[in-house]
Amino acid sequence: MNKYTVTFYPENKKVEVERGTTILSAAISAHIHLNSACGGDGVCGRCKVVVKSGTVHSETSGKITCEERKLGVYLACQALIESNIEVEIPAESRLDLGNLSKEELELRLRDVYSKAEDITQAMPSLGAALFSHAPLVTKFCFQLPKPNFDDKISDLERVYRAVEDKIGEKPIQTGLSNIRHLGELLRASDWKITVAVSQKGPVAEIVSIEPQDRSDKNYGFAFDIGTTTISAQLVDLNKQKILGTKAAYNRQATFGSDVISRIVYSKAQDGLEKLHHAVIDVANEMIETFTEEHGIDLNDVTAVSVAGNTTMIHLLLRVDPTYIRQEPYVPTANYFPAVKAAEAGIKINPHGLLFCLSGVASYVGADITAGVVACDIHQSKDLSLLIDIGTNGEIALGYSDWIISCAASAGPAFEGSGMSSGLRATRGAIQEVRIKPGSFDVEYVTIGGDKPRGICGSGYIDLICELFKHGILDKNGKLNREIKSKRLRNGSLGHEFVVVFEKESGIDADIVITDSDLDNLKRAKAAIYSGIAILVRHMDIDFKDIKKIFIAGGFGTSLNIESAVGIGLIPDVDRHKYIFVGNSSLAGARQALLSCQASLTSDEVAKNITYFELSTDPEYMDEYMAAMFFPHTDIKRFPSVKYV
Amino acid sequence: MAEELRSQQMYGLRVHELKLGATREEGGSRSKVFKIGNQAAMPFLFKEGEIPYAPIIAAEVYDVPDDDWPQSLAEDLKGVSKNPVDWAAMMAEDAGADLVCLKLQGIHPDFGDKNSKDAGSLATALLKRVKTPLIILGCGQGDKDNEVLPYVSEVTKGERLLFGCVVQENYKTLTAACIADGHNIIAESPIDVNIAKQLNILISDIGMPQDRIAINPTIGALGYGLEYAYSIMERARSAALSGDKMLAMPFICFVGQEAWRAKEARVSEAESPLWGNARERGVMWEAMTAIAMLQAGADILTMRHPKAIKIVKAAIAELMKR
Repeated sequence: MNKYTVTFYPENKKVEVERGTTILSAAISAHIHLNSACGGDGVCGRCKVVVKSGTVHSETSGKITCEERKLGVYLACQALIESNIEVEIPAESRLDLGNLSKEELELRLRDVYSKAEDITQAMPSLGAALFSHAPLVTKFCFQLPKPNFDDKISDLERVYRAVEDKIGEKPIQTGLSNIRHLGELLRASDWKITVAVSQKGPVAEIVSIEPQDRSDKNYGFAFDIGTTTISAQLVDLNKQKILGTKAAYNRQATFGSDVISRIVYSKAQDGLEKLHHAVIDVANEMIETFTEEHGIDLNDVTAVSVAGNTTMIHLLLRVDPTYIRQEPYVPTANYFPAVKAAEAGIKINPHGLLFCLSGVASYVGADITAGVVACDIHQSKDLSLLIDIGTNGEIALGYSDWIISCAASAGPAFEGSGMSSGLRATRGAIQEVRIKPGSFDVEYVTIGGDKPRGICGSGYIDLICELFKHGILDKNGKLNREIKSKRLRNGSLGHEFVVVFEKESGIDADIVITDSDLDNLKRAKAAIYSGIAILVRHMDIDFKDIKKIFIAGGFGTSLNIESAVGIGLIPDVDRHKYIFVGNSSLAGARQALLSCQASLTSDEVAKNITYFELSTDPEYMDEYMAAMFFPHTDIKRFPSVKYV
Repeated sequence: MAEELRSQQMYGLRVHELKLGATREEGGSRSKVFKIGNQAAMPFLFKEGEIPYAPIIAAEVYDVPDDDWPQSLAEDLKGVSKNPVDWAAMMAEDAGADLVCLKLQGIHPDFGDKNSKDAGSLATALLKRVKTPLIILGCGQGDKDNEVLPYVSEVTKGERLLFGCVVQENYKTLTAACIADGHNIIAESPIDVNIAKQLNILISDIGMPQDRIAINPTIGALGYGLEYAYSIMERARSAALSGDKMLAMPFICFVGQEAWRAKEARVSEAESPLWGNARERGVMWEAMTAIAMLQAGADILTMRHPKAIKIVKAAIAELMKR
């Protein structure tokens, strides 16, 4: 096999690959991350690179214009390397992997729990006192009595006896690695030791035994592993205190923007391995940064709890996710036992444990279980609805007696993926839009106040609503071609409306919304609304019977509720019923970390949630088609929505 | 009186009444005009409510001859099929069609690429020759229809004709022309009650009165999805009578073009001896499809063969007996 050198600019990174490798694979090998929303199928057109020298072979693609082709622009996923080449990577093709900005963090993570006081007042049921404090791993310090002829039980039994005195009679177990050097450890520390115990199951597990008293230092991490974003919180397990919250992009995005394309990628050579490493690398980096910032010894981090959709949990644990996407859509496991974090590649205390919250089904994962527990729906006397607006729009409806859930495959449109000017909720993303009557001039607000680089989900929702108000869109979501304005024009992808002209924007292009973007958004909103409508219809209730509606997800806190109702994304009910919970999945994961009771409850809740499969429901298609209209074909469902 | 009361209990809404054709007094030149719709009952269920008008039949006339006609059509319409004006006159006067449906197939870039003037003068010639209102259909190619049909609409202004078809992706141009020129419009949806309603909303939104819209639900011939069309029409009509104004439009069903596309209507006796007389078979295929559509709620049927039209006219007369 011929080997060729690929040089990437501007990094000037070189990597040697075999003939016929794609530029995308070479970039991954060089640790350069490119946008690749479609997972290398050549359909998203986001991995454009410029080949400066050398030969590549590539089929022609509709994503590359003739002019681009002349300039040597190729899709990295389609271009096969046939000589030594030099490749320039334009900024827009790069996957920005830096940690999120502070503003963005606040935006995404300003969930109910980081403002405990506020929330406790507004919603007592969501207070911290919901579950008793009993962390998944607790540290105890013991001064053991030295053995003598009257008390000559073994060293291990001596430790067990002390633990039993503390936690009550319960079978206890531990691993061999904790026993091997126990004799020496006890004597060297003069019988003063710290034992970390996990009490979640019926058997108490001694996680680690350390010399001296380290019981005041016990930390854990709560993770929400999202398809797009990974969020983490460092928690002081003794003081029940959040020491910090961080979020970073899920590097798996290089292998596809939705769970399906990642499952497909897992079948590629080393695919599962790469996906697994992409996620644990991010998690480990976050843990490392956190512990460094707070001067915490990694050995004092004893537990990690994780919520996320079923596919993300499978990939985190390196479990083959193949069968999730094959009929009848059965995952390998919904419930995973606690494992050694090290076994999954998570670097904390080598004996530390990793707990994954339980999922419901292939497309309703632990994130929704965590959300239900965090919003206390399972105990609520009020009929509640939880809508997690993400790539898989998960919906749960119910109260203390029953909970039913479904997953509406909304696609990544609301996360800015697959859109001509789409951007995740990052700095420079347009999140609010107002259009002036007459001139159609656009006023916008970006995250961080930066120059606009694109539009994120909440920006799109606002934008569609404004376009309607001014008659620029018809109810089918098509731009009105009869309006004469410099902002309305024919673009390369059909008709488009210019939101920001190049001279004002932070990128070298106009920021636009096209007819095909509008189609994507219409499909996404139809999927979510019809999922809600089907659940409501199947339980034979009415929207007005629902007392609380929790909105969770990436734009939970910056979502304009009027606009979301205005486009028919969420039901037109009393606005007071809507409660933004931001990242409810992370909140649930943290609760499980801090309370065995919460953790056991979430297992129980997961078992009791009824999964409703939309794809086999005969009424779903009809509901979906009815929702493929703005705000809805049945206007009576949106009485408060009035377009001019 | 008792019946009327009961019907009001049963249904809250009537189908909109659509007027076809304008007389001289009304600003047109038609001596024959029609009203359709306005029923307060499911098809032919007179006990449910009033059904004021009988369904009508429009004869399908093409501006360019079709070389691919099966034997029975080719022979029975031999004398007229090359001259749309004569053809229309024969169908309206001798064959018993209530009105004429002119399909401007010849404006299609692949089938003659005729221009607006050609189409306009043909429509005017037809209006001169026949007393009935016209249904005027484009060729189905969006851009060309948008160029030609507004012109035809303009030159026939005031005649209160029925133009079609508009679809969800392309409805504005023709609808605007019909609004301006006082015509009615056909809204076509792909056998989907939601899209039918969505399109009616879109058309109304740009100013077309609801009583000037006819729904083309898209049908299949006998053996080709007829029952699917039936259930969609039944669903739409029952929603309409129960109060959904945006579905309360009369139906137009393109029976002729669908029935004569069926293999059973086309294959000759020599090819398929067991199927029997090809001439009768084609006629019956069209008549059977038409009668099923009447039962589904059709207000206008477009048909092709004079004999089939006669059979269906007789059936309508029977069905309309209370």
